[in-house]
Amino acid sequence: MRAAMLVVLLPFAALAQAPVLEISGANFRPLPLAYAAPATQDDGAKAHARELDEALQFDFSACGLFQLLDRKSFLADAKEGVTASSINFTNWTNVGAEVLVKVQLASDGDQLKGDLRLFSVNAGREELKVSESAPSKDTRRLAHKLANAVYKYFTKETGPFETHLAWTKKTAQGKDVYLSDWDGRNPVPVSVGGINTLPSIGPAGQVGFTSFKKGKPDLWLWRGGNAETLVSSGRMATGIAFSPDGKRIAYSLADGESAQIYVANADASAPRQLTNTPFFINTSPAWSPDGKRLAFVSNRGGTPQVYLMSADGGDAKRLTFQGNYNQTPDWSPRGDLIAFTARDERNAFDLFTVNVDSGKITRLTQDQGNNEEPSFSPNGRLLVFTSTRNGPSQLFVMTFDGNNQTALPVEKGTYSTPAWGK
Amino acid sequence: MGVSSGGGAPGRTTMSEINVTPMVDVMLVLLIIFMVTAPLIQQGVKVNLPDAKAQPVEATDKKLVLTVDASQRVYIGEAEVKLEELEEKLKTNAKAQADKELYLHADRTLPYGVIVEVMAAAQRAGVNNVGMITDPAGSPKVSKPKKKDP
Repeated sequence: MRAAMLVVLLPFAALAQAPVLEISGANFRPLPLAYAAPATQDDGAKAHARELDEALQFDFSACGLFQLLDRKSFLADAKEGVTASSINFTNWTNVGAEVLVKVQLASDGDQLKGDLRLFSVNAGREELKVSESAPSKDTRRLAHKLANAVYKYFTKETGPFETHLAWTKKTAQGKDVYLSDWDGRNPVPVSVGGINTLPSIGPAGQVGFTSFKKGKPDLWLWRGGNAETLVSSGRMATGIAFSPDGKRIAYSLADGESAQIYVANADASAPRQLTNTPFFINTSPAWSPDGKRLAFVSNRGGTPQVYLMSADGGDAKRLTFQGNYNQTPDWSPRGDLIAFTARDERNAFDLFTVNVDSGKITRLTQDQGNNEEPSFSPNGRLLVFTSTRNGPSQLFVMTFDGNNQTALPVEKGTYSTPAWGK
Repeated sequence: MGVSSGGGAPGRTTMSEINVTPMVDVMLVLLIIFMVTAPLIQQGVKVNLPDAKAQPVEATDKKLVLTVDASQRVYIGEAEVKLEELEEKLKTNAKAQADKELYLHADRTLPYGVIVEVMAAAQRAGVNNVGMITDPAGSPKVSKPKKKDP
């Protein structure tokens, strides 16, 4: 299908045998990974062990590479050592593990230090040892750093665990926008009070969003704690999207009868109208990773569909031809796929991807409530989205091909419009 | 099973099928048992295996081995587990759940009841294929005397 995605996992490069695991595609099999509860060396570390442990378990289980084995099945002595010579690997083989991860945690003043060791269970050998540290109050970040090291070991790519999400949470009166870790934790308020929605994270970590603070929708920009208006015109401005280089923004401006796509400089200067279809709606722009094209939604053909056009304007080309209600496109940083929400024949919203070159559509979700608003991770392997499968709309992640759908461990609430910082 | 024969008047119909329900209840349903010859499997825990003349199955790849020694201690591989924990240990065990199969390596002196208990735990955990490890049958009939475990 696409060569870039078929990157091969390189388990234990030291082994002479050829790599056997593919990270995606029909032959993909998540690697069975046993992760033992972290060992602590002092009381200071003990106080943070649980938080680190939770974050690491979520990282391993949600990233789609691993089958995280149930600790209840473990046969090894809880006090088993952390070096290859002190580990009885038979006990790990017997729970189905191919990879064993052990973590030691120590505190040093207000710093936490984590040593992670990764073992090939079949070879009975240590394959990776990493040491990371972080302030004690950032225990989760220490976990994410360690998980990234493991992710990189297997994929040769930077893992998603230190990236950020922006999302909207419903309040009694409106909606608030937050910026959080990749797992939805450590939320930082970006804009609270009134109705704030459709956030987007720029390459420098800035957050753009749509707010009704001044009565009608305007575009706002949040940077390091301060939010100010960016686009406030006579018309309704919605759906800001930063170009991958951060130099331009795309958004839509609507009046009573139509909505058109605009591209402007990052400071909103020199806006240019790219679509010109009076009486039709053009909205939800999403940049291609090279910054040369935009995907957007238009109803010019009668129903909302995903279209592509050059970021300099010019003719738009229709991309989706199935379904009669396709919206919220997001372009994979790998370039080949666009994920979008579609209303299917049973009036349920579900997620699909469309191949940019071939137009081939792949279904990702089915029969699990409404699933909407996909956004790709920076490495293109994961998607964050919302789902109503368990009641109110919740944040979920899954792999780009629809596997391993996992709810984010966030507080109860109604969430919408997640966006992954790329 | 509830299909009755013909549409005659009530009271005049005959039950023309065998009612298998009691039989299903009685058996450890779907528990498939087969024989595995011992030399193929090296275990750390020492037990006296029974001899058996049944056609043995060749143990091809490594399945989980459940050992019960003469003093009724239960081991998964080399790790001792409590009998009451066995079901959960097997239910959560990714290897057992993927294979749906394990080998039972139990001492010949064990009471039948203990073996049934162990096999029932495996069956409740969804491991429906149990290979009974035996000494190879067909070897000379005069078997050498076995030393008993203390």
